[in-house]
Amino acid sequence: MGVITASQAATPPQDWWALHPLDRAASQSGPQSVDGFVDATLQKQRLQRSPTASRQALIRRACFDLTGLPPTPAEVEAFVSDPSPNAYPRLIERLLASPHYGEQWARHWLDVARYSDTKGYVYAREEKRFVHASSYRDWVVRAFNEDMKYDRFLLLQIAADQAVPAGSPDLAAMGFLTLGRRFLGVTHDIIDDRIDVVTRGTMGLTVSCARCHDHKFDPIPTRDYYALYGVFQNCAEKLVPCGIPNADEELVKRQAKLRETMTLRREEQAARVRERVTDYLVAQLELEKYPGEGFDQIIDAKDLNPFVVRRWQVYLERHRDDPLFAEWRAAKSKETAAGYGARFAQAKNGEPLWHVLYGPDSPCLVPDEHVANIEMYFPTGVITELWKLQGEVDRWLVERSQAPGYATILEDRVQSVNGRIFLRGNPLTKGDEVPRQFLAALSKGQQRPLSHGSGRLDLAQAIIDPANPLTARVMVNRVWAHHFGQGLVTTPSDFGTRAELPSHPELLDWLALQFIDGGWSLKNLHRQIMLSAAYQQSSLSQEDAQAFHDAQERDPQNRWLWRMNPHRLSFEEARDAWLAAAGRLDLKVGGWPMELFAELNARRTLYAYVDREQLAPVLRNFDFANPDLSTPKRTETTVPQQALFGMNHPFVAAQAKALRRRADVQVCRTDAERVRFIHRLLYQQPATPSQEAAALAFINSSALVKRPVESESAKAWQYGFGEWDESAGRVKSFTALPHFNGNAWQGGSHWPDVKLGWAQITAEGGHPGNDRGHAVVRRWTAPMDGSYTLTSTLTHVPAAGDGVRAFIGHSGQGQLRAVTLHASEAVMNMESLALKAGDTLDFVVDIGGGLNSDQFLWAPQLSLTGSTGSGGDLATQQWSANADFTSSAITALDPWEQLIQVLMLSNEFMFVD
Amino acid sequence: MFSRRELLRRSGMGFGMMGLTGLLGKSFGSEAAAHINHIAPKAKRVIHFFLNGGPSHVDTFDPKPALLRHAGKPLPITRITERKTGAAFPSPFKFQRYGQSGIEVSELFAKTAEHIDDIAVIRSMYAQVRNHEPSLMLMNCGDSVQPRPSLGSWLLYGLGSENENLPGFVAMCPGGYPIKSAENWQSAFLPGQYQGTFVDSQHREIDKLIENIRSPHATTMVQRQQLDLLQRLNLEHRQGRLDERLDARIQSFELAFRMQIEAADAFDVSREPKHLVDLYGTGVHGRQTLIARRLLERGVRFVQLWHGAGQPWDNHEKIEENHRKLAAQIDQPIAALLSDLKQRGMLEETLVIWGGEFGRTPTVEMNGNTAKLGRDHNHYGFTVWMAGGGIKGGTVYGSTDEFGFAAEEKPASVHDLHATILHLMGLDHERLTYRYASRDFRLTDVFGDVMREIVA
Repeated sequence: MGVITASQAATPPQDWWALHPLDRAASQSGPQSVDGFVDATLQKQRLQRSPTASRQALIRRACFDLTGLPPTPAEVEAFVSDPSPNAYPRLIERLLASPHYGEQWARHWLDVARYSDTKGYVYAREEKRFVHASSYRDWVVRAFNEDMKYDRFLLLQIAADQAVPAGSPDLAAMGFLTLGRRFLGVTHDIIDDRIDVVTRGTMGLTVSCARCHDHKFDPIPTRDYYALYGVFQNCAEKLVPCGIPNADEELVKRQAKLRETMTLRREEQAARVRERVTDYLVAQLELEKYPGEGFDQIIDAKDLNPFVVRRWQVYLERHRDDPLFAEWRAAKSKETAAGYGARFAQAKNGEPLWHVLYGPDSPCLVPDEHVANIEMYFPTGVITELWKLQGEVDRWLVERSQAPGYATILEDRVQSVNGRIFLRGNPLTKGDEVPRQFLAALSKGQQRPLSHGSGRLDLAQAIIDPANPLTARVMVNRVWAHHFGQGLVTTPSDFGTRAELPSHPELLDWLALQFIDGGWSLKNLHRQIMLSAAYQQSSLSQEDAQAFHDAQERDPQNRWLWRMNPHRLSFEEARDAWLAAAGRLDLKVGGWPMELFAELNARRTLYAYVDREQLAPVLRNFDFANPDLSTPKRTETTVPQQALFGMNHPFVAAQAKALRRRADVQVCRTDAERVRFIHRLLYQQPATPSQEAAALAFINSSALVKRPVESESAKAWQYGFGEWDESAGRVKSFTALPHFNGNAWQGGSHWPDVKLGWAQITAEGGHPGNDRGHAVVRRWTAPMDGSYTLTSTLTHVPAAGDGVRAFIGHSGQGQLRAVTLHASEAVMNMESLALKAGDTLDFVVDIGGGLNSDQFLWAPQLSLTGSTGSGGDLATQQWSANADFTSSAITALDPWEQLIQVLMLSNEFMFVD
Repeated sequence: MFSRRELLRRSGMGFGMMGLTGLLGKSFGSEAAAHINHIAPKAKRVIHFFLNGGPSHVDTFDPKPALLRHAGKPLPITRITERKTGAAFPSPFKFQRYGQSGIEVSELFAKTAEHIDDIAVIRSMYAQVRNHEPSLMLMNCGDSVQPRPSLGSWLLYGLGSENENLPGFVAMCPGGYPIKSAENWQSAFLPGQYQGTFVDSQHREIDKLIENIRSPHATTMVQRQQLDLLQRLNLEHRQGRLDERLDARIQSFELAFRMQIEAADAFDVSREPKHLVDLYGTGVHGRQTLIARRLLERGVRFVQLWHGAGQPWDNHEKIEENHRKLAAQIDQPIAALLSDLKQRGMLEETLVIWGGEFGRTPTVEMNGNTAKLGRDHNHYGFTVWMAGGGIKGGTVYGSTDEFGFAAEEKPASVHDLHATILHLMGLDHERLTYRYASRDFRLTDVFGDVMREIVA
């Protein structure tokens, strides 16, 4: 955005509807119900509300909406056959009381909170997983389930450190601030991220737009940005226990080691600076040599530390009236610096000079804070050392603890200072100092000071002040948007002057006031919305196709809510629903994340590991919220990659197979009965006659399609692992690799496997297991006596690592060939190989010196050149590791499974009416 | 897919414009959202050789004889780089003039140099910081720090793909990820459909190259039967329902089905004649370059070829040995691609880009008092070259100082480079915008000038 003059930037706040106080008078004279407001608008637009949706549609809608899960066939049956007018309100109550309500709505909030389990790109020295992400996620789930008042919900996320006692589980709430991207530790960007998530997330204000210049459209001056910047710059991160203390011996040991080293290194560093006061003063004469901000330089202990040089600069400036430095100010030179150096060296405890070296605001001291806050004080080697020790602690917590029990909070620093404007956002060009205060646009006259400590608690209180017109409006609108598919304001995190005006302004204010007056209860808000006729109306053109058509002409976007908007399942909802229909869904609430497609991961998708650096492509393809930026509303795309996932990814096929194996599916007596039951499992609807007919026709015709069968020559091959016994020249014990994923034999569906690691055999090559005990073995068994020719080329490509070892072993004769290779090829051919029926040839590969880049290509071919009698006639006389590789016969779906997969991918499954 | 309304809102266009471009009624797929040429396009597609780690400009395309005169002595100018460097370090490689233009190129890229009259060498590039990560982000996404969409994502957003059956933006790297991995081809706040598709070109099998491209559990015939049933059910379901997303989803399955076939074909270099395979070379770089040509030929918008996992060109030590080895891996494929494109008449519409995230110092990197015979990172000045689509060949743009430490004459920022690339593709970098969080974002932020002197 270009440079903006002040006059352009300021639309006067009084013209900006979102800043008007909530209109209590209009609200009280209004119709006092959602329907009253919606109907009045419909009438004005000459539109009519659609009829109430069917019972089946209602229960499916309400269940997905509140819990993200489909109802079971039994629940549907009970609801549909319950004639009571209270059946629907009872359903809503049941769903609101479900522990899965919190999971579903937590996910909506996690989009806003740009949740991730990892920090984004970090240097190798640092553990990339957050220790506290799961604690935060679980806290959000709990807060929704307990219907925590929304004002408290926000307060805790911004300032729990000042609202609850040490050790409280509520400290986890602060992940909201501390789970952002780490930007390789660059403070300005970390703070920018926090300002953005707080202002857009809670108030729908895009304050970050004012980082470089006054906001282009909204009355948010750059001063406001740096007023908030000042708040966050006075906060330091700290890892603290929250809830279950899970300190065990090993953890204590690791923490102590970190602590000791940290103390030692801080003292050493301070001592180094004290010894070199002269040099740090001289450095002030040539500041251009020391980059003020930005990125890493590799520094060793002998170098002047550029960060410390800048600290001296700030210190001298702050003490510009201090007579101690009068001489320096009068004659800045190397000589003067040397003079000071000599005097500092003599300084005695308690003297003014001594305070410069040892006092609490001494530029020599390294604060006692988390390594993330203070790494720039140290030489590169020390930074690496400290992060490694911190990593030892972090990894112990993430990998070994039973449950997440730590939070990363912010704490106010003892001394708070105001921020200074960075001209055009550039930290090297500092402008005026700005007091820490609340946004001008939300203040009448005097800006509310944010002055206690860092001002963070004051900020939280200003946000949740009932007089703040934005906070309630924004949240009410978010909730509305999730229920109806679009908000009353279409941009849920932007209530600025450029946003579209609300479709139903009086309704928005009425809901916001009810929300505040009713004690900020989200569950009440859901009730108000979901019990309305507007929510319960149909999305279909049922009875009156003409009226539907006319309404569509007049209001194609359905801004006036003349029908319900259909909902497309999010990726999480779809995956959970597949698992649920398959009878596999694990409903355990909370805990550590799991790899999305790990073998045994049948947990809700909420608990899938979110790595913001390498987000699983399937999540990206399905429009999962970008974990780098607060996401108010997911984009919704339809691309072929989504279809490819559904058609070809083993996960969907596995659920189809599991559903087929359900006991209640097995026991169905007739095909028709089974088709009907499967429909109810997947769609919560009985099959229509034509659906049933189509399904039955598919089963019948599909059975006729020839399914792939394993070829004769394929039977000669086996795929396993074992240890190569060098002295005996054979594999010690051959064990078959247990899992075939359609392309490769390996330890399990997830690769690397927990037990068998990287061991894998493919058509063309493979990868050895993690140690010499886990060589991969492609075994070929001679089907008849004869003379054979072997042709094979083993290739190892990567320059990284140290290559692999390979052997050819004969069951009778032992080792035939051995080779070690790295980024090269080895041709291993043999002619006139005399074999008896049942003899085996093992093609064995294990790691070289260590496990690193050990993937290889090796697809041997054999041919029979002359038979010697026994074994009979062979259908084949050629064997090729590649061409004979396990066919898809192993994984192929049977016709019922194919049918179920189709139903799982259908629009009826993916859309909620 | 976006709703059309949403799409128009985001791209800041009115319905009138949409009517003109005839987009309404067009099918779904990896369709562009902005879909408009602001300028007459010179190029239709881009291939970017990314020499990750940072190739040395003074050893390749920016000869500096002055370094020889100062060999072993400190240079009169110094700049802060990531590590300590010492005396001037003259290039160990021989330079020679090539082509009609007589531009000097080192022996490392002798084969590529045969095409120098098609190439514009930008010798005055500069970036912002001295480390890999931010410089990769700047070169790929236009911002050193903030998560922003990559160049390829912007191109796809602006122009769409010409082949619905293939991903429109492909990033290939043999052996795994470069550092910053998928962030290098991220779509950030642009919809996920515009992100780059990563391909580990070390593999040969199609299902390892592209995720979910082949079914492990159904033959094509079975799948066709399944899709026929699916579409029959979907059509019945569509009755009485009004939602364009239903149709989009119906189409997406047909697209996916075709993609399985077309992608397998596009990535299969065994269908190329032997003389071409030999021309490109049989190593992994030859293969990935040949695959790239097949993709470009089929309408893929942007192909990025990374040299390898990690940061292979980051030669802090023994640069002579290492650069020689690395250049030998790609010189032949690059030259082959230029010949092949030309022979097919594709070069004039294909923009070929060569470069890394920064260059290297003209001074030798030190380890204490010992020279490591390598060079440190240098973001103050480095070289990027472009050829083909709309480029004025045989041109040198700008220069570094006499030692090659910093851009001097006509300094070219990465934003300028991006502005020029967009310009050649028919997009005005100031008008290609996307509204997010109430701001109109651009690839070039508030910067960027088109380098008109290299535009033919």
